[in-house]
This record gives sequence, structure tokens and C-alpha cells, in this order.
Amino acid sequence: MRAAGAAHARAARPEGRKSRLTRNQSRAGWLLLSPALLHSTFFLAVPAVVAIFLSFTDYDFSGTWKLIGTENYVELFQDPRFQAALRNTIAYTLVVVPLSMALALLIALGLNLKIRGLGFFRTVYYLPVVTATVAAASVWLWIYHPSAGLANAVGSLFGLARSEWLNDPGTALPALMAVGIWQGLGAKMIVYLAALQGVSKELLEAANLDGANRWQVFRNVIWPALGPAHYFVLITAIVQTFQVFDLVFVMTKGGPVNSTTVLTFDIYNNAFEGLRLGYASAETVIMLILIAVFIYLGGRSQRNTQDGQ
Amino acid sequence: MARRRAGILSLAVAGTLALSACGSGGASTAPASNPAEATGTLRVLVPSYPASNEGKAALDKVVASFNAKYPKVTVEPDFATFDTLNQKISTSIAGGQGYDVLVTGIGWVPPFAAKNVFEDLSSFGATADSLGKSTDPALVPASEFKGKVYALPLIAAPKPLALRKSLFEKAGLDPTKPPTTMDELKADAEKLTVKDAAGNITQAGFDFWAGPGGYRQDFVALLGSLGKPLYDGDGNPQFAGAEGTQTLEWMKSMVNNVQKYGAQNAAKSPLVNTGEAAMGFTGGYIDCSDKGVGKATCDDLVYFNLKDKDGSMFTGGQLASVGKSSKLKSAAWDFIQELSKPEAESGIAALNFAVPAGKDSAGSEIVKSNPASTFVAANLGDAKFEGGAANWLELRGTFGTSLDDALLGKKPVEDTLKALEQQSK
Repeated sequence: MRAAGAAHARAARPEGRKSRLTRNQSRAGWLLLSPALLHSTFFLAVPAVVAIFLSFTDYDFSGTWKLIGTENYVELFQDPRFQAALRNTIAYTLVVVPLSMALALLIALGLNLKIRGLGFFRTVYYLPVVTATVAAASVWLWIYHPSAGLANAVGSLFGLARSEWLNDPGTALPALMAVGIWQGLGAKMIVYLAALQGVSKELLEAANLDGANRWQVFRNVIWPALGPAHYFVLITAIVQTFQVFDLVFVMTKGGPVNSTTVLTFDIYNNAFEGLRLGYASAETVIMLILIAVFIYLGGRSQRNTQDGQ
Repeated sequence: MARRRAGILSLAVAGTLALSACGSGGASTAPASNPAEATGTLRVLVPSYPASNEGKAALDKVVASFNAKYPKVTVEPDFATFDTLNQKISTSIAGGQGYDVLVTGIGWVPPFAAKNVFEDLSSFGATADSLGKSTDPALVPASEFKGKVYALPLIAAPKPLALRKSLFEKAGLDPTKPPTTMDELKADAEKLTVKDAAGNITQAGFDFWAGPGGYRQDFVALLGSLGKPLYDGDGNPQFAGAEGTQTLEWMKSMVNNVQKYGAQNAAKSPLVNTGEAAMGFTGGYIDCSDKGVGKATCDDLVYFNLKDKDGSMFTGGQLASVGKSSKLKSAAWDFIQELSKPEAESGIAALNFAVPAGKDSAGSEIVKSNPASTFVAANLGDAKFEGGAANWLELRGTFGTSLDDALLGKKPVEDTLKALEQQSK
């Protein structure tokens, strides 16, 4: 009787009206989400909107400002320091992201095997991630010192000529890239390691039974299974490389001759050295658009790769 | 329905609370006419005092003296460093909580005066003439912008030149006759440069004491020896003419000739002090004790300035200003008066390895304590400053990297200086 009544009530309910349980769940979800939403609204969304607005003004902390349309954007694209920062940031991203992903995957493949000292190696590779960037950069400054540093000392053992490293416009950015790759390896390696341990053992067995060699197993079983991990690592790596700041600030201050100036550092200089917050905001908007473009392109390439499997 | 309204209301209340928490504190209050009755919090930005026990103890003495006159005003110090000074000042202005007292560096007065960050001190009776009665007259121009005084100089941090007597004698040169012009300096430096079999410089003939992007202050000193400041009193650039070209061409001929571009030791200390260079720029203080360079090194050093058309010594320093937005302007003025008293200035000078800006600094302990300070205090008349333009803080980073472009031959010297001149206007 009761069941029939409940069924009748369900049948009588108009389409689209949620059940009480669904409404309660929805309310609970919003309540649990509200602290993060409030945080994101006040500390991310509102500043982002303000930054976009400021990018169309000449605000410079002097108390008086006016709307100037797209003047900041026009000036930016004519600014040689912005051009250098843009080139360097894109170059840094194009080199560091794929190299660090490839190296991290290689290391993860190695650590996925049953070798001695596994815990030790996992710790060693993860240590750079938990080391403060400023501390790591200070050590690398010593490594790269032209006369007293480890890099030239080791290089001289192999007969390599002394390099000026961070003092040479030709080698400064590659030197920073090396540090960026080293520092980002651990986090990517952990993600890949977790993904590798989720690869289907039945599929691996089946491939081995079919006579596939190691490369074929990797290409046809492991690589496709790592698709979601690739996507996550790619997106986070792109965002991290675009946000590189402390390495540049500690090690080179954008020099020599702007060869290591990146967008974040130029934004910092324009905002806090030049006191031109409107101009710096315009540069920030451009950087955000660039990040979005890179993420879109990266995501597309991942989807194309997976569709092609 | 009632529950939905309650949910929306709670979100609105949370939002209001969050907004109000972000509101300004409003620490300063309006002053009373009698200092003893004035209340409020005086926010002071003081990179002069390191956030160490010694720094805090030295500042406490100043605060105690200030509180004798303003017993009800609380002093809230911010021990910033010069690296973070701009961020502190700009974010405090943007947040509506400007500092009441700001200590900044030489070259910072025109930009902040132009942006109405600093108070015109003529409202307290300060003029260039009155300043010159208590401060070394050579430092007064650094506190002015368009004829008005915006700061009181506290300390001077010059960078004189020095040579090593023993290395001069070894090269057959007379250390009692240091070079006086850039040509003489170059000729001596080339004789003093030592290279190994591979052609690497093992002893620099002249040390610029500058890393990449850091040749700006050297340029100012060398340009000054030809009788030209970086900017004139009205903020017009003076560095792009014949003297500027001559100076930068000279520097270009020295880099990678008598010293590798950007060469520094791991400690970034003056190479002439460590014996890695025979001559070079150095600091206005040297520790001759065993914990420092030692007496033998101190005795081996001879200090000098170039005097081609004018004696020249790059001079940095620190100055104290009253914040334009301060609600305790009189108290702020009295506080910077306390900072500029001889005892306080000597304390700041000792903490910053500089010399007091006061007129009678020659008699202070810090000046008598070491030969570098004695030399610079006696030669403050040769002081040459960087800055002078209203957009100097924006330009100084570009200035350094642009000079590097010229030094490394990436851009012609004249084009470099002309481009900088354009950006100055």
C-alpha cells in the first residue's frame, strides 16, 4: 500500500523537480564549497577583474588616474623589454616542459621496477620539489660561478672550456632552464609513477604473451594508459613555467642584457620598480591569455594523440 | 524556502565579514596641537635598521627620545630591506595605509615627490639653506626636487676608488701617484692586469665591482669626473652628450680587457680588498680587524678619486621623509629630526657601514675607525649621485641593462645613450 503510494507520488511529481534528497545533497555541496568559493571570489576572481580594468588605466600609485584605452597594450608591444620577456618565457616553456616531462617519465619507468634502494631514489628525486626555490637558487649560483663554481670545475676535468654561465647572455637562459628542469622533475615523476602503477597488469601480460618487445609494450600499452597523467603533467608544467619568477629574481635579475627576463619578472619590475600598475596589469592580462592558449594547444595535442591510438 | 533564504543570508553575512576584514585599519589619528597630547600610531619604514638585536636596540634609543616628547604616540617600525622597499611603499599606498615616515635611498626623492608620496618639508621650515647648516652641503641636492626639500639626509654610502700599493710597486708604478684621469687609470690598469697561459685574467687591472646590469653607479662616478652629473637640477638628462659617450666608450674599452665582464667573487666583495684586483671601486667602510681584511691589507690600500674636470665619487645613502598621507605629520617631522641627530646618525652609519650625513661627521667614531670612512668623509665634496629624474625608479633597471648592451658591443654607445635619454623625458 505504502509502496504503491510512494510510486504514485513519484509518478505525480512534475518532470525536472528534484527530490528532497537531491536538494539536500545540493545544499550540502554548496555549503561545503562556500569557503573555497568565497576564497576564489575575493582572492582570485575579484583581483583578476580589477587587473583587467587597471590594464586600461594609467594608475601609478600617485592617487590620480584615468582611462587610457588600449595605450598600455600598444606601448607593451613596442617595449623591447617586454618583447625579450615574451621570447624568453616562450623559449623557457618550450624547452623545459617537454624535457622535464620526458625525463620524469624515464625516471618513473626506472623507479617502477623492482630495484634496490627504491625508497632512497624516490626521496632523492623528490627532494628538489620540497626545497625552497630561493635556497636551491643560491646553491646553483655557486655551482654556476665562473671561477669558483662546481660546473666549471667538473667541466675542466673533461677538457671543456670555462663558461661564464649566468654572466654570458648566450648561456644564462639555458643555465636557468637546467635548474627549472631539475627542480620540476620530482613532482612530475610522482604523478607518472602513480599512473604507471595503475596500468592494467592483464594488458601487460597479454602483450608479453603475444611476443611484444619492451618498446612495443611501452608504445602500445603503457603510453596510452598514461594519457590522463600526461594531460595533468602538461597543464601543470605549462602553468609553472610561465610563473617562473624566484629563480630569475635570485639568480640573474633578468640579466645579462635581458637574456633571462621573463614575463613575471617584467611584470614585477613594472609594478614595483616602475610603479606603473596599469602597465603591469596589461602585461598580466597578456600573460594570462598566453597561458590559456598554451593550455588549449597542449590539451588539443593530447586529445589528438589519444584519438590517433 | 526558508532554508534557502537562510543559506543565502549566511553567504551574504560571510561576504560582508570578509569585506570588512579587508578594510583599512586606520592606525593614525589626527594630531593634537600639544605633542604630549597627540595620540595614534606612527608607522615608520626604516631599512636603516636591520631586524637584528643591534638594529632594534639602536632604533629603540631613537623611539625613546621621540616618546619623551610624544608619550602617547606608538611607533610601529617596519624593518624592510632596500630589496623590498618599493613593494612596501607601493602596496601601502594602494592599500590606503601609507607610512608616516619613510627612509629611502638617494635617487628616490624625485620619483616619490613627483607622485605625491613625500611631503614638501618647507611646511616645516626646511629649505636647502637650513639643511646645509646641519647636513654636509654636498648631500643637500639629493634631498631636493624642483627646488623644494623632501627629505633629510641621514647617511652617505660612497664608493671611492682604491689601489694596492704592493701590486703597484710590483708593476713598477708609483702608488703615491694614483691616476687622476680615465686615461691614466686605463694605462695603469693595463700594466696591472695579469693573465694565465690560457688568456684568462687572474688579476684584474681594474675592478668595476659590478655584476651584469650593475655598471650604472660606475658610469655615474666616471661621468662625474668629466664634470657632468647624470641629471641636472631640473631633472634633464646630462649623460647623452660628448662626456657620456666618452665615458661609456672608455668603460667598453676596459671590459674584457682589464677585467672580464660581470666578474665578481663569490662574496661579491670589492676585488681590490681581496687582492684579486690591483685597483677598483670599493666601499666607504673597511674592517681592518682580524675578522675583516686585516691590518696588513688595510695598510696596503690607498684611496683616491678621479679628478679629470671635477673630483668624483659615487655616493649612495639614506634619507628620511614624511609621508604625504600621514595624519601625524608634525610627529613624523619630529621623528625624522630624531633620526638625523648626530648620535642616531652615527648609529645608522655603523649598522650600514656608511658615514653620517651630519656636517661634523669627521669626528664620529665610525669615521675615525677605518681609513675608508676617513677618506670618504673628508671627500664628500666629490659626491656624485644617481637619479634626478621623476621616472628614475622605472628607468634604473633599464639603464643598467642598456649599459651592458653597449659594453658588450651589442649596441653602439651613442645609440644606447640616446635611447636612455629619450626614456628619461
